[in-house]
Amino acid sequence: MTNNPQQTARVGLFFLLGMALIWVTFETLSGGKLWFKDKGYQLVAGFDSLKELKAGDDVRMAGVKIGDVALTRLAGRRAEAVLRIDSDKRIKADATATIVTQGLIGTGYVSIDLGTDAAPFLPAGGEIRTAATADLNSVMAQLGDLGRKLEGALGGLGTSLNGDSRQPGLLQKVDTILTENRENLSRTTANLQQITDKVNRGEGTLGRLLNDSRLHDELLAGVTELKQGATQARSFLANAEELVAEVKRGRGTLGALVYDQKAADDLKASLASLREVSEQLAQGRGTLGQLLKDDSLVRETRALLKKADRAIDNLDDTGPITAVGVVANGLF
Amino acid sequence: MPNTLSASPASRGTPSVTDRLLTWLPTPVFQVLHGTGSTLLLLGRTLRHVPSLPRQFGRFIEQCHLIGYTTMPIVGILSFFIGSVLALQSGHAGENVGYKQFIGALVGLTMARELGPVMAAVLLAGRVGSAIAAELASMKVYQEVDALETMNIPPERMLVLPRLAAVLTMMPVLTIMADLVGWFGGAIVSKYTHFISIEPASYFANLRQYMDFSDVLNGLIKAEVFGVTVVLVCCNIGLNTRGGPREIGASVTRAVVTSLILILVLDFFVTKALM
Repeated sequence: MTNNPQQTARVGLFFLLGMALIWVTFETLSGGKLWFKDKGYQLVAGFDSLKELKAGDDVRMAGVKIGDVALTRLAGRRAEAVLRIDSDKRIKADATATIVTQGLIGTGYVSIDLGTDAAPFLPAGGEIRTAATADLNSVMAQLGDLGRKLEGALGGLGTSLNGDSRQPGLLQKVDTILTENRENLSRTTANLQQITDKVNRGEGTLGRLLNDSRLHDELLAGVTELKQGATQARSFLANAEELVAEVKRGRGTLGALVYDQKAADDLKASLASLREVSEQLAQGRGTLGQLLKDDSLVRETRALLKKADRAIDNLDDTGPITAVGVVANGLF
Repeated sequence: MPNTLSASPASRGTPSVTDRLLTWLPTPVFQVLHGTGSTLLLLGRTLRHVPSLPRQFGRFIEQCHLIGYTTMPIVGILSFFIGSVLALQSGHAGENVGYKQFIGALVGLTMARELGPVMAAVLLAGRVGSAIAAELASMKVYQEVDALETMNIPPERMLVLPRLAAVLTMMPVLTIMADLVGWFGGAIVSKYTHFISIEPASYFANLRQYMDFSDVLNGLIKAEVFGVTVVLVCCNIGLNTRGGPREIGASVTRAVVTSLILILVLDFFVTKALM
């Protein structure tokens, strides 16, 4: 059987194209590594709980995939994840591994931080430091706990309001009070109604107070007066301020007294001489001192006045005598 | 109708315990068993002739042309729209859930692992399987197969082996095309649909992040299984046609329906086995 050569070529082209596409896909998706993946090296990470982590999950450093979880196992009292790290990625000894949950659907990965520059690299098979992180489940558990407490509190509130089999609740008690006092209550409300009616009609003190406009006018006048008083007080204060300012500037008598050094000195000197004079007076020195201290002058003056009195009496008796003669009589 | 009369020549003569058990089976079950057995026997007989393949290179190329080259356009069109509608549906459904950014991985994985091989196989059954069944059935009905046997040319060697070899060669090519065209269809829809609007770069980045070549390889292996199944079933039903020309049509129908059912049934088991 012979073939059309064109047909053969077409089949050959088609097949080669298909193989090329398979190769391209293979290179793109797996980077040329099919069965023998980069073995890399392994690290052990111990956790209290691996949570959602399972073999095949990513290991990322600063968000970049550097390997995957080779297997998870239980080792004594803790869970261990064996991490396969790409052979060209080195991890510092002080880097910390944490389990991160990605999104709400709960696929996890191991996140490793960069560590510090100074630290040495972890050897293959070494154990990396780990830190526990709060996961969604524990948050949910706490929320559930909170919910239970809230439920208990609300239940308690409900019981205290509605009561239980042993004891009537607040609502029942209120209900009982209302039932028992219904008559009193209605009477009280009727009274209140009457009072408010009266007030509305302007009867009684309260009614008048509320309804009479005179009171309002008087109040208004009082307020106006108060305002005036305040204005006056303000102007008085302004004057006082002005006065004080003047004093401060050293103007006027008071100002000079307060602020002028020379006036003060003068005053001091005057006071000093005044004190000297008063001391002399107190000691009875000088004319004035003698006048104050010596009572002989008083006696003499009194005797003189007596004589003068007698002389005037005599003058009345003896008729007209010259004034000089009287004075001379009186004095001698 | 007793099962023994309709088929196996082994039941002639003294019936064994197994044969008597088989006569008690309901006819559909018997036919399934008969079909499975005869197909496997056909495969066995065909594989015995593998050394003669180089001498049938011309026939092999002819079948490759039919199975691969002429089937490619329809596979391309179908896969493009399957990828597009996959992106569209998942984008629509994921709009409120917030997994829009995973459309690349979703379309990529679905096309590579499932829809690429299945669609290629379905088209193969519809387009090539029907042609094989019709050709072999008419050869059988017009006694050409008998003539071959008379000339001591086993029909398995001349009629089945080239087709089997061609489908094994061409299925991976068809499947990878279906995958790639489907991915591109998804990328285009993701970019130009207003409620998705994901750039092709991020679509393919996401696809690459969540996919491995093993996913594609998985699909290629499935496609090979489907292709061999379709060709063998169609050859078997064609070669087992009895009666007149009317039976040719019936054989074609049966071949295509059986192929489609087998593709989906095998799909489950192969997927499970490859996981």
